[in-house]
Amino acid sequence: MMAYIPAWAVSLIKDNNVLIGGGFFLLLLIAAVFAPELAPHDPNEQDLLAVLLPPMWADGGMADYPLGTDSLGQCVLSRMIYGARVVVIIALTAPVGAAIVGSILALIGGYFGGRADWVINRIVETWLSFPAVVLALILMIALSPGLHNVILAIVLVDWARFCKVLRADVMVLRQRDYVAAAQITGARPLGIILRDILPGIVPSMISLMALEISIAVVAESTLSFVGMSVEPDVASWGGMISDGLNSMYSSPYPLLLPMVAMIFTVLATTFLGQGVRHVVDNHLSERTQGA
Amino acid sequence: MTAVYSSPAASDGLMPRLLSQVWLLARQVLWRLPMLILVSLIVFVILRAIPVDPVTMLLPPGATQQDIENLTAELGLDKNVVMQFLIWLKDAFQGDFGISIQNGSAVSSMVAEALPMTIQLLFFGFIAGILLGVAIGLVTFSYRGTRVEKVILSINGIMMAIPDYLWAIILIVIFGVGLQWLPFLGPVGANISIDHITGFLTLDSLLTGNWEGLGSSLAHLILPSMTLALVIATPIARMAYSSLTEVYREDYIHAAQLRGVSSKRILMFHALRNASLPTVSLVGVQASVIIGGTLLIESIYGLPGIGSLMIKAMRSFDMQVIQAIALTYAVTVQVINMITDLVLFQLNPRLRMQK
Amino acid sequence: MGHSMAMAETPLTDFMPMEKKILLQAEGLNLDARIHGKTCRVLRDISFTLEAGKTLGLVGESGAGKSMLGRILSRQLPGGFKVSSGSLQFDGEDLLNASDKQHREWLGRRIAFIPQEPMTALNPVLTIGQQFSEHMQRIGVAASECREKMIHSLSEVLLPEPEQILDKYSFQLSGGMCQRVMIAMAFASEPDLVISDEATTALDVSTQAQVVKLLRDMQQKKGTSVIFVTHDMGLATHVCDEVAVLYAGEMMERADAKKLLQHARHPYTRALTRATPELDGDLTVLDTLDGQMPGVESFADITGCRFAGRCRFCQPSCEESIPDMQMLDQQHGVRCIRIQELQQREDNEEKVPHKTGAAFSDRHILSATNLSKVYSSGNSKQKDKLALAPMDFHVAPGEFIGVVGESGSGKSTLGRLLMGLEEPTSGEFKLNGHALGDDEASWQKRRSLIQMIFQDARSALNPRRKVGKLLTQMMDSRPHQRLERRERMFELADNVGLSKHAVGRYPTQLSGGQRQRVNIGRSLCDLPQVLIADEIVSGLDVSVQAQIMNLLLELRREHKVALILISHDLSVVRYLCSRILVMKNGEVVESGETHSVLKNPQHPYTRKLIAAVPPTDPQADWPLDIDDDDGSSGKMDGI
Repeated sequence: MMAYIPAWAVSLIKDNNVLIGGGFFLLLLIAAVFAPELAPHDPNEQDLLAVLLPPMWADGGMADYPLGTDSLGQCVLSRMIYGARVVVIIALTAPVGAAIVGSILALIGGYFGGRADWVINRIVETWLSFPAVVLALILMIALSPGLHNVILAIVLVDWARFCKVLRADVMVLRQRDYVAAAQITGARPLGIILRDILPGIVPSMISLMALEISIAVVAESTLSFVGMSVEPDVASWGGMISDGLNSMYSSPYPLLLPMVAMIFTVLATTFLGQGVRHVVDNHLSERTQGA
Repeated sequence: MTAVYSSPAASDGLMPRLLSQVWLLARQVLWRLPMLILVSLIVFVILRAIPVDPVTMLLPPGATQQDIENLTAELGLDKNVVMQFLIWLKDAFQGDFGISIQNGSAVSSMVAEALPMTIQLLFFGFIAGILLGVAIGLVTFSYRGTRVEKVILSINGIMMAIPDYLWAIILIVIFGVGLQWLPFLGPVGANISIDHITGFLTLDSLLTGNWEGLGSSLAHLILPSMTLALVIATPIARMAYSSLTEVYREDYIHAAQLRGVSSKRILMFHALRNASLPTVSLVGVQASVIIGGTLLIESIYGLPGIGSLMIKAMRSFDMQVIQAIALTYAVTVQVINMITDLVLFQLNPRLRMQK
Repeated sequence: MGHSMAMAETPLTDFMPMEKKILLQAEGLNLDARIHGKTCRVLRDISFTLEAGKTLGLVGESGAGKSMLGRILSRQLPGGFKVSSGSLQFDGEDLLNASDKQHREWLGRRIAFIPQEPMTALNPVLTIGQQFSEHMQRIGVAASECREKMIHSLSEVLLPEPEQILDKYSFQLSGGMCQRVMIAMAFASEPDLVISDEATTALDVSTQAQVVKLLRDMQQKKGTSVIFVTHDMGLATHVCDEVAVLYAGEMMERADAKKLLQHARHPYTRALTRATPELDGDLTVLDTLDGQMPGVESFADITGCRFAGRCRFCQPSCEESIPDMQMLDQQHGVRCIRIQELQQREDNEEKVPHKTGAAFSDRHILSATNLSKVYSSGNSKQKDKLALAPMDFHVAPGEFIGVVGESGSGKSTLGRLLMGLEEPTSGEFKLNGHALGDDEASWQKRRSLIQMIFQDARSALNPRRKVGKLLTQMMDSRPHQRLERRERMFELADNVGLSKHAVGRYPTQLSGGQRQRVNIGRSLCDLPQVLIADEIVSGLDVSVQAQIMNLLLELRREHKVALILISHDLSVVRYLCSRILVMKNGEVVESGETHSVLKNPQHPYTRKLIAAVPPTDPQADWPLDIDDDDGSSGKMDGI
């Protein structure tokens, strides 16, 4: 007997977007986990005799620094590999945090309505009408740099998007006859939320989380580009791009290489997000459930 | 439409219509005020957690304990947060946003000086972005069902994923450094001076007949505006395309086709207006993202707008400036939202009719 | 009962053959679709002739392919659909091979359509006047006369204050008014052919009758031919000259409209008529038709008659080859190979007399006194809405009560109040003679005695739970009864006629009829004494509707359960209920024994509702002129 594989899982594996995006992300994950083994140098090791070296294939490159060095003589490749750690951690944690905060508030507001809902809704509207970058920056000044604080800041900024979408979902589900049907069987609110409402918002939640991956990665890189993200001694791509911009005329590589990495990562996470959403829409959304 | 059919509004009479418009505008403004106050409060509370004491930063190194207490009382920092906020709010309503700890000048004048640059950027960015987005959307839709449609959609999808600050760098690398077509640093050429009238460089140079200044300030705006336009255009293109696709599935489009209405007329008369509704809403929803984009774009292109001011203020923990600029950003978002709401109101009779 | 030979001589006496002008003629039309790599014949061998000024009815249940002809005519076939063979002549010209330009010329000028959903067929951002004048200019009305002509057209379709209608948007009008606008536009060009696709289905019953009447009057005035697509056989009988019955893309029978109902020969047509409840005549047990129509994707696998799978008279030869249409006379054609032998057998079949659900005793299980509901607008400017005027209500064991009314009459509010889903503004409930309080124990008692079956089974069943769990949903709060629950789900499935396998499926994997069975079965879990059912058979096809109605009666016999049936369909109420309440604008305007109320209605509104139902007698004149007191002026403003 073959083990039963649900149809959505098969589609997930067969989806091109998921394959490309997931594949690239897997590479990043490996790089992040095995960074000490993969990186030829310590990311903060400065070789002031080898400043702004081009990659090894270009004229004047050194095999010791495969992708060259930056203006402080730090190994670009090593910094990029270590920078992947930040990307991966943010990608894995921030969406989960934002989903938890957003969906709890959405369930409370959307199901019970009334004053709590009014307050939640006002806050969400206000949150969404304020530029996310600015809010994140202000939070980072208050929180001071550090990976945990970056995650916290991103969650505190992005929960509102989850809450808005999921609250609308909850309110639609709330009007379904099957919720009324559950009520007349004597089910309690918590039971109805867990059995009839929560499963209904899970597809949206998964889609939102998948899309949030790239949003969170971009947010972190933006913050580190401005120097308001992780501690200065932690390598991050945004910081590398910012430094590279300053030495752009002397050597374009410390700017272009992390930029390319960043663009590929953003594309990969976007593909992953869109692929997951596509599969979710086709398999888990209400109209197709179980078919 | 021709004269056969008179507009429904014409029959209402001019005065009541005008009054209702004024009331509408007033309601739009009043309804947004609490949101602005809430934003200010949130920012205010967050900023209290700054790990730096503003009082010591404001005072010279040799200040006495008495000096510190005096300044603390003067700034109202000895009161609780809510009281502090209320004081700030009262002052803000009178246009007083405190003084900057960087240079001791009034925050309001610093923001007022920087704001025209940002508005100029937003203005050109919005116009270019909306035109570009709608054009891409229409072209994509006109190729529906072909391979061209798929290609444009995937390119648009890829472009949409690239964040604003990377666009800025990409455009600098290509058009500034690589091709050297356009300037990319500062608001205007280094040896050009423009007399200050309104603070809007392009407008001022136009008013003073300073053609060299006009050319230079416009050239310096092209790359930043294009960057902003790209951020705006990609989601608009997708929305314009998908809402047109949606609209074409509606019964009324089928009904018009069944009446033999030509396809060109169906697009122009029946579909575009309906499809524009979600697209305009999107501009409102995206307003905060777009305005957030100006912050980095300004700082990368070295434009002295409020974004650059904000970054500087953050580096020196200049709370009053941060607070004031945060409010400015919030106001800008609300103004754009208000404009889109009013446009929607004109486009959608359903909104107009419910009273 | 006329025999085929006798029938052949009767028609064609009223008019001279010379005057006949054939407007539309289909010959062996086949429509193919590619589905999952297979070619499926969506429409098979469709032939008909439509004379100028006549009406052809296309009747069928959902999925029969009756809308496809309209789509062929309008060239709006779904992707992958293609007419593979056959011909379609429109006024002597080849419609299938006409150029797109030529075809578009015809649309709106010579061929006009009346849609199913009038509200959505009008552009919401353009006024009626903007859309109408666009059409007028296209059909060549001079701009100077346009407004005048539009007003004339709108008054022709009996719209009040046509000048003001021109300045309205579709969402400011009622469905009936929108449909009048669509009809006015359709007939504005005096077209040769009008296709009406379920044009009255979305409307209230009395509005439906008015619109049908209007359509016929317009047709006669302008000499237009009409193709009338509907699922309602009774309606088609009265509206059409000729009716074709479609099943699974095949034209099973076609005949003179006035004769088809009583002289139906095809087993499907007969089954359909025998499954349709009627508003007059003797009450007899409805025959049900088991199973369901095959879906398009399975057409490729059916080698013989497409009805064979559900036919009582199916024999092996039926499944071997596609039966031809046999013409019994010039007009009457039947696609069945056993037509001759079946004739004898069916005539001998007797109809079983039927009894509605009457009370088993005088005891009141549930009674409500002075029950009312007012929706507060929450705003001093607008008036509060009276949803239910104070009324008394009671149910006896086994009693089936019909609550009848049009949308907005307050009938659903009554159901929700009785169930306790909404808080009444005033009123006291008694359960088995004991006053019902607001404490938890009272609620539990209420829930165990009264249960509700919701209107739309699709929305009432959580799509993420399996049928077994749904059937026993009431045991969710009793986790200790795990074994009992397993047993009970199979019992309930059996009670409502579901197979054992259904228990492990999701609701979306079931057919509409099966879903409705789950919906009913769920309410039976704790053996309630009263069921409240909101329009539970209205969305179903006729054959499935009969199955569900018989199921309800069976449950009454076995479980002594009483039923409060909320419905707009008088025939359904007549078949099921012994007592009836007629509601209008939140008030009960008439009540009493179903039999006597329907036979001798006292209130004008009841009379109007009855008059709106197509009568059984095909010769009867219907629809009569119905006084137009509120059907069209009901909703001028707001949503």
